[in-house]
Amino acid sequence: MPIIRTDDLCKTFRSVKRESGPGGALRTLFSRAYVEKAAVSHVTMSLEAGELVGYIGPNGAGKSTTIKMLTGILVPTSGSIEVAGLTPYRSRRENARNIGVVFGQRSQLYWDLPLVESFELLRAIYSVPRDRYRQNMKRFTEMLEMEPFLNTPVRQLSLGQRMRGDFAAAMLHDPKIIYLDEPTIGLDVVAKEAIREFIRDVNTERGTTVILTTHDLADVERLSRRIILIDNGTIIYDGPIERIKEQYGTHRTLVLTLAEPTHDAGLPNAELISNEGRVLRYRFDRRTVRADELIRIAMARYPITDISIEEPELESIIRRIYVEGYAQPDSKEQPV
Amino acid sequence: MIAYVEFAKKAFAREATYRMEVFTEVGSLVVRVYLLRSLWTALYAQNAAPQSMPYHSMITYATVALLMSLILEVDGTRAIRERIREGTIATDLMKPISLPLYFFSDGLGQTLLHAVLVVPSLLFALLLVHIDVPSPSVFAAFALAFLLGYVVNFFLNFLMNAVAFWTLETFAIQLVVRWVSDLLSGQIVPLTFFPGWLGRTLFALPFAAIYSTPLLIYVGVIPPAQYGRYLLVQVLWLVLFGGLAALVWRAAQRRVVVQGG
Repeated sequence: MPIIRTDDLCKTFRSVKRESGPGGALRTLFSRAYVEKAAVSHVTMSLEAGELVGYIGPNGAGKSTTIKMLTGILVPTSGSIEVAGLTPYRSRRENARNIGVVFGQRSQLYWDLPLVESFELLRAIYSVPRDRYRQNMKRFTEMLEMEPFLNTPVRQLSLGQRMRGDFAAAMLHDPKIIYLDEPTIGLDVVAKEAIREFIRDVNTERGTTVILTTHDLADVERLSRRIILIDNGTIIYDGPIERIKEQYGTHRTLVLTLAEPTHDAGLPNAELISNEGRVLRYRFDRRTVRADELIRIAMARYPITDISIEEPELESIIRRIYVEGYAQPDSKEQPV
Repeated sequence: MIAYVEFAKKAFAREATYRMEVFTEVGSLVVRVYLLRSLWTALYAQNAAPQSMPYHSMITYATVALLMSLILEVDGTRAIRERIREGTIATDLMKPISLPLYFFSDGLGQTLLHAVLVVPSLLFALLLVHIDVPSPSVFAAFALAFLLGYVVNFFLNFLMNAVAFWTLETFAIQLVVRWVSDLLSGQIVPLTFFPGWLGRTLFALPFAAIYSTPLLIYVGVIPPAQYGRYLLVQVLWLVLFGGLAALVWRAAQRRVVVQGG
């Protein structure tokens, strides 16, 4: 039984068509010409309870629109949607009890109140039993190191502190599902790591289903096994990260460190990208040459002190897919 | 239910942190009480006093109207408009709460703080001007009418602010309705002063339910025999606006356009 299921989900926005120039502005005031834009079209997906899925797409791809429909605040134009057995837009309030939400760019904490008072208000909103509340507070304060700023008004918190507060706020009522929208945006490395750690713990310890929307693919690479790629409102890939890497990450980089510099640095079937004296970097296609062959040739030629092979970053792969479009594995593979 | 009590408490605490504003409000109220007394004194000196409203009743009317405005001008639903503009209405909607009730509780919390302020203001006002204090039964009827008017006023504010779901900006509408309602609700001038058909029309409008009915009960223009009729009219407006607010809210939820994000 999937916990989240959408079937042929579509959302079309209608907006007033604006015309240019001063005359156009006046015409816009009186005329009512509309343009329709499909923000999400025919999205079908299914998530099992306890999954942690990266939902990836460029700006305007339809990620937020999908999340808003899953939370029940947007009504789909067509298609069906089910979250933990409920249709979100029909039962917004019951659905709200099952979900937690964190927006990196927007806080749900109460601006004028000390952080801990926001938590107490949320306890009342979700009617969390007192002992459960105490347990969760204790655990989250520990994990997110919130002790020093629990009594500080939210408006005086740093971004990193505020985000930690927002995470605790979203998890206080033990939601079954948590939606994270750009949760690490603008955070420094340490804060990012703390947040990722928390997400991982929540997912494994509590079995919370996590949908993670982000531009920072390092988040996804560190946390999830499955990604869903969306572009122009359509899902273009849904599957394990490894598969997309295998299919698109056909290039590897071989890095050799030599005992002494060399001038003649050519290797067959590999392209020399840089030669910084003792460190040589080669790019090779794993379909035309195998890494061990390449290494054997190199070892025979140079006095090597260190060897490493760099895998392509998910980020560069995804960038390529956005530019070139995704090719189905059964269709002709694209030349690299 | 506990959540809504909490909302009211937090709103009360939040309002209380703006101490300067609180003191200024009491101060300005005292000044306004004094100015209004001077104005009506001058007007009554120049003209024959109307039968329905002798000089003393008029001063009482104007002063009580000012004290009421301290409570009625709190608009908890203003937050709707602000949240739609900022886009935070989205996170509000992701909570398992009724937003209209949330805004009502928040407004109530603010109102309660302002109600506390009415006490010192009232004492000052009594030092400055002498106002009539009605019998307990009349006062009870006034309190009930005031309560009904408070809810009618809430729904009216709610409807105006909910327009923001469609237009995103409601300032012009607010301003017009505010002007119209200040004048037509009897806050400034008793509706009994308007002649003939105009007066009758104004009594038939919903604005009369907010200020005019409780005030006219207070000063005794509405005799006890007619309480039932006037209170019933208030209840009718309350039900009508309440129903309208529910409809508008249902429609609004279906067309949330969140700004940004």
